Amino acid sequence: MTDLHWMTVAAAARAIAARDLSPVELMAALLSRIERLDAKLNAFIRLDGEAAMAAARTAEAEAASGHLRGPLHGVPVGVKDIIDVAGLPTTGHSKILQDNMADADAVCVSKLRGAGAIVLGKLSTHEFAIGGPSFDLPWPPARNPWNTNHHPGGSSSGSGSGVAAGLFPMALGTDTGGSVRNPASCCGIVGLKPTYGLVSRRGVFPLSFTLDHVGPMTRTVADNALMLEALAGHDPADPGSAAVARARYSAEMERGVRGLRVGFVQHFHETDVPADPEVTAALGHVARTLQLEGAEIRDVHLPTLGEFAAVNRVILQSEAWAIHGPWLRDRPGDYGQLARRRLMAGAFFGAGDYVQAQRRRLEMIAAVENALRNVDVLLCASSMDPACRIDSPAEIERTYPRQARTPFNVTGHPALAMMAGISVGGLPLSVQFVGRNFAEATLFRVARAWERAAGTDKKHPAIL
Amino acid sequence: MDKATMELLARGAGLDKALAEFPEDVAAAATQAAGSTQKIKAPTDPRAEPWPPMRAGDGL
Repeated sequence: MTDLHWMTVAAAARAIAARDLSPVELMAALLSRIERLDAKLNAFIRLDGEAAMAAARTAEAEAASGHLRGPLHGVPVGVKDIIDVAGLPTTGHSKILQDNMADADAVCVSKLRGAGAIVLGKLSTHEFAIGGPSFDLPWPPARNPWNTNHHPGGSSSGSGSGVAAGLFPMALGTDTGGSVRNPASCCGIVGLKPTYGLVSRRGVFPLSFTLDHVGPMTRTVADNALMLEALAGHDPADPGSAAVARARYSAEMERGVRGLRVGFVQHFHETDVPADPEVTAALGHVARTLQLEGAEIRDVHLPTLGEFAAVNRVILQSEAWAIHGPWLRDRPGDYGQLARRRLMAGAFFGAGDYVQAQRRRLEMIAAVENALRNVDVLLCASSMDPACRIDSPAEIERTYPRQARTPFNVTGHPALAMMAGISVGGLPLSVQFVGRNFAEATLFRVARAWERAAGTDKKHPAIL
Repeated sequence: MDKATMELLARGAGLDKALAEFPEDVAAAATQAAGSTQKIKAPTDPRAEPWPPMRAGDGL
C-alpha cells in the first residue's frame, strides 16, 4: 500500500468506504508526520489535532455502520487562515485579527464537512492574503518542502507547503491575484482558481470583492475535481455567486486531448516577462506533449501581462483599502511591513482610477472571451521562475511579480496551475491552463492528459 | 509623485499616524499606486462600461 501520507484524496476515500482503511489510522499517520515535519515547514498556524482525531473516530464509527457522509468521508483537509472554521480564530496571519474567533464555518468549509472531510487546522498565509513572505508577523512564514530555504509561494502558502509535503491530501486556498496558483506552482501540486462565482466566498475574510476566489489545492488533478465537486454551487447570500448548476467535473477527465484546440499564449513568457530558460523549455515540452497526444496547438495573443497586472493592482488595492483603511489609520504598526505598504497603496488611487481599471477590465474580458471562441483552452506560464530563497527580500521582490496569473482574476476565467517539470536546482516548474467560464471539466481533461503523460502526480519532494 | 503631494494625499486619507511612524512605507505605497495607474490604457470609447455591471435584484 502507498504510504498513507502520499495517499490521494480519491484513494483514501475509496479505501475508507470499502473499510480497507480506518479514518483514525489515516489521521494518526498524518498527525505524526505533522509533528515530525511542521517545525521546519510552518504550514500550520493552528493545528486542531484533538478535534480532528475525535472527528476521525466518529467517521470510523459511521463507516463501520455503513453511513458515509459523502465522497470525502474521513479525508483530512487543511484550511487557509482567512477562511472561517467554527470555534477557531481566523487570524489572517496578522496581529490585527489575532483573537478573531469564528462563530460559524465558511460555506466552503461547511460543504467539505458535508461531503465528509475532516478539518485538521488553520494554515499559514501571507498577511491578509497580500503581505508575505514576512518575518515580522506573529507566526513565521511557511517554507517550501522541496527546499526549506526557499519560499512556497503565496498567499496560500501553508496550503501549498502542507499538501506538497504530505501533511494532508487537500487544502483550501484563496486566489485574488494568483494566490492558489502561486503556491501550487512553487510546490509542484495542482491548484485551481475556479470561475468567478462558482464557489461561495461567504465566511472568507475579503481582500478584493470582485477578484476574490476560493479554490481547491491537491496533489492530483482527479483529487482537485473531486474537491471542486464538493465546493461548487450557488450561494444566494454571496452577491458574487453564480446561479449555475453544479457539474461532475471529473466526467471528461480521462478522455484525453485528441481533437481539442489549445491556444498557447507565448508572448506572456517570451516578450512580456521573459521567463527563466528552464521555464520556457518546460512550457514548450508541455505544448509538444499535448500535440503528440492529439491536441492542435495554436498561437494566441492577449493584452500584455504588464497591463493585466496594473488593472489587477488598481482594483485589488482600491477594494482592499475600503476594507483595511480604518485599521491602517489607527493601527499601522500592527501590520507587517509588506502588507502595510501594499494595502496603503489603495489610499492613493482616485475614484476615476478605479473606474478606468474596471472599464479596461471589460475590454480584457472580451479579449479572453474572443480567444476562447477559437480554442478550447489556453496554455500559458504561471510562474516565470522557480521559487527563490525565502531569506532574500530582493529576490522575492524581483520574482514575485514575474507571473501570468493575475489576468484570470481580472477576467474571472477558470485557471489551473500545476507542475511542468523540475529545475536543475530541484524545484518545481509550472504551467497554467485556462478554460471557458464554468468549463472546469475541460480544464481538468487537459490537465489530466499532461499529468498522465508526464507523471507529475508521482513526483514528491524528498523531504524526510 | 512629489513628497508634498504624497503627504497631502496621505493626510487626506487619514494616514497621519502611518506618516509619522512609517514614512518610508507611505512613500512606497504612493509610488506603487502611481506606477499602476500609468500602465493602464483607459478605453477611448466614452461608452465603454465598467465591470461588473449593476444588476438589479440579481441573486439577493
